[in-house]
Amino acid sequence: MFLTDIRKEFYDVVVNQRVALLVSSDIDALCACKILQALFHCDQVQYTLVPVTGWQDLGTAFLEHKEQYRYFVLINCGANADLLETLQPEEDSVFFICDTHRPVDVVNVYNDTQIKLLIKQDDDLGVPSYDDVFRDDEDEDSDGGDSGNESDGGSEPSGKRRRFDEGALERRIERQRARREWEARRRDILFDYEQYEYHGTSAAIVIFELAWVMTKDTRDMLWWSIIGLTDQWVHEKITHIKYVTDIATLQRHVSRHNHRNEDEKNSVSIDCMRITFEYDLRLALYQHWSLYESICNSCYTSCSFKLWSINGQKKLQEFLADMGLPLKQVRQKFNSMDMSIKENLREVIEESSNKFGMKDIRVQTFGVHFGFKNRFLASDVVHAAAALLENVEKDETATDNFIKALDCLSRSNIERMHLGIDLAKKKLKAIRQTVASCICTNLILSQGPFLYCHLLEGTPDVKLFSKPMALTLLCKYLLKAFVCSTRNKRCKLLPLIMAAPMDVEKGTVIVLGIPPESETSNKKNFFGRAFEKAAESTSSRTLHDHFDTSIIELKMEDKGKFLDALITLLS
Amino acid sequence: MDTQSYMPVPPGVGMEENFFSLDDILLSHERLPCRTDTAFPKLGFLEKAGETHDIPEGTKMEMPMWLAKGLYERKRHVISVELPKVYREGWRTVFGADANVVDLHKMGPYYYGLGSQMLHFENAENPEIAQSILQTFISRFRRTMDSSQNAYNEDTSVLVERLDCLERALFRSGQNGLNAFQLWERGRASQLTASSLVTNYRKRKITELQS
Amino acid sequence: MFCEKAVELVRELHRMSDGQLPAFNEDGIRQVLEEMKALYEQNQSDVNEAKTEGKTELIPTIKFRHCSLLRNQRCTAAYLYDRLLRIRALRWEYGSVLPTTIRFHMCAEELEWFNQYKKSLATYMRSLGGEEGLDITQDMKPPKSLYIEVRCLKDHGEFEIDDGTVILLKKNSQHFLPRWKCEQLIRQGVLEHVIS
Repeated sequence: MFLTDIRKEFYDVVVNQRVALLVSSDIDALCACKILQALFHCDQVQYTLVPVTGWQDLGTAFLEHKEQYRYFVLINCGANADLLETLQPEEDSVFFICDTHRPVDVVNVYNDTQIKLLIKQDDDLGVPSYDDVFRDDEDEDSDGGDSGNESDGGSEPSGKRRRFDEGALERRIERQRARREWEARRRDILFDYEQYEYHGTSAAIVIFELAWVMTKDTRDMLWWSIIGLTDQWVHEKITHIKYVTDIATLQRHVSRHNHRNEDEKNSVSIDCMRITFEYDLRLALYQHWSLYESICNSCYTSCSFKLWSINGQKKLQEFLADMGLPLKQVRQKFNSMDMSIKENLREVIEESSNKFGMKDIRVQTFGVHFGFKNRFLASDVVHAAAALLENVEKDETATDNFIKALDCLSRSNIERMHLGIDLAKKKLKAIRQTVASCICTNLILSQGPFLYCHLLEGTPDVKLFSKPMALTLLCKYLLKAFVCSTRNKRCKLLPLIMAAPMDVEKGTVIVLGIPPESETSNKKNFFGRAFEKAAESTSSRTLHDHFDTSIIELKMEDKGKFLDALITLLS
Repeated sequence: MDTQSYMPVPPGVGMEENFFSLDDILLSHERLPCRTDTAFPKLGFLEKAGETHDIPEGTKMEMPMWLAKGLYERKRHVISVELPKVYREGWRTVFGADANVVDLHKMGPYYYGLGSQMLHFENAENPEIAQSILQTFISRFRRTMDSSQNAYNEDTSVLVERLDCLERALFRSGQNGLNAFQLWERGRASQLTASSLVTNYRKRKITELQS
Repeated sequence: MFCEKAVELVRELHRMSDGQLPAFNEDGIRQVLEEMKALYEQNQSDVNEAKTEGKTELIPTIKFRHCSLLRNQRCTAAYLYDRLLRIRALRWEYGSVLPTTIRFHMCAEELEWFNQYKKSLATYMRSLGGEEGLDITQDMKPPKSLYIEVRCLKDHGEFEIDDGTVILLKKNSQHFLPRWKCEQLIRQGVLEHVIS
């Protein structure tokens, strides 16, 4: 069920209990987790935090802790499948789910006792009404046997003498017909409801609002909620409109926090944290890199210029010349650039970008600074944390990386943040190079209803792309680049499926599908169901472990028939 | 700052030794050049040449300081203890000129400790020796203190290699203070830490298993 | 020169300046005691000789051997005493149950001493703070909060806290628990105190 008063129905319930926190591996979840941890510290709520990467992890974690904990809080996992069916909990286990995955499974919506959803009900949900999907059994007369939603059950009498009654027979036939009709409608409704997967309001924002309602919100929490929202924007989980709306909400909080210090006679110490609203450039990590590198490695600029081609490189030079920026300056570390150049940089770039067809070079976001040296934009933090979370450089487990990423969000762990930024730079470069090589070698093939690209083993940096978030970024970048470079009008409207090696020993690949590229995209993804059906119909060996249903693991040998089934399905 | 549970007996101050102090025991093991002023029958085997049954009177030999202290008697002539080079006038002048350039580890390593103990043996130069040791300490102290308070998170081997044992102990203590302050500044003073003793045992166990 | 073995014992301990306990050097002690026995007996016979035959020239030698005996005594006593200091530290760092590897490094008498020390400490702690006593081996650093966040550094299995509830300590899981429960495990390096 949806909770209406999160404070009363969730927080006040768990505040005197011990809680198990099961947190998914994405940045929004990490931020929501940090905020919730801070609240729990305040009120001394004992908890155990367990990172989970997929449904199997979730199941294991639940099994390990179900004896000791009655209350479970799930962050960014658990909403989009029948949780009670998956976990088979005892009757007294209660699950509080704060998840951005949509659609929320109908069983989760309508369960009153064990499933509590920390989701705003107006969050664009479109849940079918109860009567459309659930039916209490109404068989009163002695037809016996038909319980639940059995179809056309044989109505053998259970030992009772059957009354030959024409009226009764007619009524029964009518009821069965009505049921069949209801079930058909139910199937349609559920199909429509569950067909497209998308994301709702950031979990970090939901938890932040809980903190705000309790007047326990701090600047650190606000900053984390900003990062959570920015994560959704960077990985293109939400529409632009939703992003702008949520930014406005957070902007009100930022103003409120900033006004707090205006009354004090002494200004706040330089070490205190300051959050500012920024209408800043859409260049990834540019303040921690050189402007040139950032322009080359950011998806938006790289695709607009088509930097994988020689023409593109020339256009870039023209662009820089148009702004009057000498190449030497632009190649330096941003902090070392001349002050005179940095002063109006944003406006200068915006003006020139407009000339070169980039109307959206600036985006609304927030920045933070504390101490003399530390300035970060929200997107910087998202890239750094994501790079740490999916770090493949050392042979560390997923939970080791989770811990490191969680740590980097604390202001006292600045060195880790810097490490994350370095990793993120490498990742962005790898993505750019992979995109360039894919476009130039025509690795993207049209399969009819979708585009397909397979990264072979041995491709440089391919290990990076065995991870979902990195592969998602690559996929979106690649699709945009393809759309910019192809002349085939039909292909521009196609979605893209990508495969990359996941586990060499087990012989599996990670397969991911994203919707077609368009400016008004509603970011709704139908591949989840499509993958399920294709796997079923070909008995391919797949693992649908990830919480995003559009990401699966597939055995290499089954790839051929799986793809064929998909093509047939989607044509 | 790790709370100290192992508190060994510290070395004595000045001319005193602490009976149980491991540092003082090792200090008193240093050898001094001596001359026997009487014969020591039946102990010839101890002496370098080792040919005679007894140690004859007038033998020049090196004795550990504990022995020299034990045998020395002011009134009788049992042994005479020669002043080690580093406490003699020649070196005293060098120290007087600039004590900072001297490698006291090579000259010692227990320069101050041994020097203080030398005062037990009657020697006309004792007042000058005492004065020289004191002045040397004073002139070198500033540099030791400075370097211990300013070397944070770096390799200090160059800084300590010319210090004698007393100065090294001071340096270590200065570093401990500095590290503790830095931890406090970063808000980590209240952080509970694993016992360094336990961690070291574990490390040793691993290396033992590996070897 | 005499007493070389004795000073070896001292050096052995001095090398481990961090307070670790090396294995009990039974062999070394035995050798020192043998040397002492030999010196003592030689001195006995020389004293008799000096007395009965008036050989005063033996006196320096007797003095020499006597100094050596005192020296051996000092070294041995310091060795044993320093080891006790280290063993005492173990009670404070490790707790009352020592891992077997460390127990092997102790001789029987030292183990006995450790048990007695444990008992004395326990008796003393019970006598403080009213009825329940006061565990002074906790809160070695002044506490800032009742509850702390800890992270599990290695799989440790199940861990019981006061009210009977059990927590599963799995590597990389994080927990928010009462401080006094965690202190021991943090000192032993199983948990890490996380400050944010």
